[in-house]
Amino acid sequence: MNKMWTVARREFLSRLKTKGFIIGTVLAPVFLIGMTVLPQFFLFLKSDKIKQIAVIDQTGAILDSLTANLDDRNAAGQRVYNFTKHEAAAETLPALEKMLTAQIKNGELDGYIVIPADILTAGKAEYRAKSVTNFFENSRIESALSRTVRAWRFQQSGLNVEQVQQLVRRVGLRTNRISADGKEEADQGRTEGLVRIMVMFIYAAMLVYGQIVMRSVIEEKSSRVIESVVASIKPFHLMAGKIFGVGALGLTQYSLWAGVMGLLSRYGVKIGSLFARDSASNLSMPAVAPEILLFFILFFVLGYFLYAAIFAGLGALVNSDQEAQQLVFPVIMLVIIPFLCTFYIIENPNTQLSVILSLIPFFAPMTMFARIVVQTPPAWEIALGLALLIATVVGTIWLVGRIFRVGVLMYGKRPTLPEVMKWIRYA
Amino acid sequence: MHTLQLDRVHKSFGSLAAVSELSLAVAPGTIYGFLGPNGAGKTTTIRMIMEIILPDRGQILINGAPNTSPAVLDRVGYLPEERGVYRKMKVREALEFFAELKGLKKNAHKKKIDAWVERFGMADVQTKKMEELSKGNQQKIQFLTTVIHEPALIILDEPFMGLDPVNAELIKDVILEQKQRGTAIVFSTHLMESAEKLCDAICLINKGRKVLDGEVKDIKRGFGRNHVILAYDGKSDFLKNNGIIENYNDSGNYVEIKLRPGAKPQALLAAAMQHAEISRFEIAEPSLHEIFLATVKE
Repeated sequence: MNKMWTVARREFLSRLKTKGFIIGTVLAPVFLIGMTVLPQFFLFLKSDKIKQIAVIDQTGAILDSLTANLDDRNAAGQRVYNFTKHEAAAETLPALEKMLTAQIKNGELDGYIVIPADILTAGKAEYRAKSVTNFFENSRIESALSRTVRAWRFQQSGLNVEQVQQLVRRVGLRTNRISADGKEEADQGRTEGLVRIMVMFIYAAMLVYGQIVMRSVIEEKSSRVIESVVASIKPFHLMAGKIFGVGALGLTQYSLWAGVMGLLSRYGVKIGSLFARDSASNLSMPAVAPEILLFFILFFVLGYFLYAAIFAGLGALVNSDQEAQQLVFPVIMLVIIPFLCTFYIIENPNTQLSVILSLIPFFAPMTMFARIVVQTPPAWEIALGLALLIATVVGTIWLVGRIFRVGVLMYGKRPTLPEVMKWIRYA
Repeated sequence: MHTLQLDRVHKSFGSLAAVSELSLAVAPGTIYGFLGPNGAGKTTTIRMIMEIILPDRGQILINGAPNTSPAVLDRVGYLPEERGVYRKMKVREALEFFAELKGLKKNAHKKKIDAWVERFGMADVQTKKMEELSKGNQQKIQFLTTVIHEPALIILDEPFMGLDPVNAELIKDVILEQKQRGTAIVFSTHLMESAEKLCDAICLINKGRKVLDGEVKDIKRGFGRNHVILAYDGKSDFLKNNGIIENYNDSGNYVEIKLRPGAKPQALLAAAMQHAEISRFEIAEPSLHEIFLATVKE
């Protein structure tokens, strides 16, 4: 047993210190922070500059309400879009455009908008500028123009603008989740987001860390160091040590990320609001109920053990990473299929199909967990699913242990299925 | 009590018997040559001793206890022929890892490792990665991992392969030193010369079966003093169609000759002197090399 921990410690420490792990662990939260904070930061940077925009208003009636509708202010409280009015008939338009284009070139102007006389019916305007790739800016101008034109259309039709706006008001659907004990909780779509993130975590743990275990076995096998190792430790303990060591690595990485996400949900929006006053982004995490967290850890660990053992067995069967790629595909499918199934299960947690999917041991780490979060199934179903899963984990580890014992010392030709069956019987 | 004892150990892979009914015993403080041609079953036997593979029948005892009982194998050091290392691991960490796999506690192995790397002249490479070492140095580190826990039994599979003469000497000295300590050393090789110099006793196996075993001097005596060693310079015509020669192994200017029973060695010398300059003439016991060839060919 002590030796198993020696192996686990080596797996853990030697991987912890690799550049790949450090970069991956650090970059993921940096990326996450970047996604939250950067857009607001850039908005903040941009909005400081005042845009000089010429408006060629061929209707002669739109500019004032457009100015009112696009009242963005920068940090200093100044208008961001400064419009200057130009009028042009069809025949003078080309000359005017030429002049404005020249002004854009020498920097006096940032851009100009052409509002044709038939905008009410045709519904099209043009915006020309040096750079028209700022999606945010474009959509601000477009929506302000739309609102202006719409209001004008209502007026033309003899409708009261405010009345119409009252009438076409959207209906909000507030969602409330009824939990197992009958309590009502406000939800607002967060459960769905949460379960997706957690299932994603389980999915990644099984695939990513499972394959790290596999590569670790292949590495020892192809470098032949395995013979020295199994002369000192039982192959089964070696396998278990690897699985524990890499598992600890995964937990470390996830804990670090969870910590960063926790901090981010608490302070990220605040950081964002330093840059933009009306922060639209809201990344706050819903509070995770303790029993959900418990189930998460349980399914996370069981799922990892199941697939880490399978991947360890695969590693013992092959001689190189290339050979492994051919065998690994069916196992990856075994992980991807339940992941895709969870999309259906989240929408339909209680159909017969969902129940069956959640009881299949190889799927259960994701499918049963998803059901538990979305709509807690009857206790016996959870118990049955867990019992089947645990039995499968134990059976798989036993089976793979036997394959592993023989496989790690087999070099050369990859064994056929009948040969593997023989190993299981005689190991 | 023997340090290592195999009692009718048998292992088949499918219909092929890799090791058949093999029995042998290695006493403490002896170097035991485990010899045989490629594919004779040497590695399979060693793997069974190390409990890496399990025998179909028979018993393996180490210091009187079955090798399946806990911690027994912690008293064994094994240098496999397939020499792999953890390429990315630092030398020191690798040494510590294997010491701990042999059951040494962290505070127990520090001094031992310090002393060994000092003696092997490798104190300054401890922070390097294994892959940065030369093949020979990697092999020295691996050899270290087989002796660091002061085992009662050391199994060495071709320990000198790939070593330069200086390092081969170093390893040989350590082996002899371990022998003095009372360690039993099983030395598997097909290089008969190094086996001949080092071994007290041997076991020769072929096709999974033991064909010969015992103390080296007894075995040689059994083969009789009808061998002649000649070092010559000139033509080797005297070897051909010579009625008193049963067979010979000619290396160009050095030949080992087995005479027919009753033949006079002096007659051979006389014949040889007519064709070549003789610088050495010795009536000897057969070398292990000859015994090996004679036995395996039969």
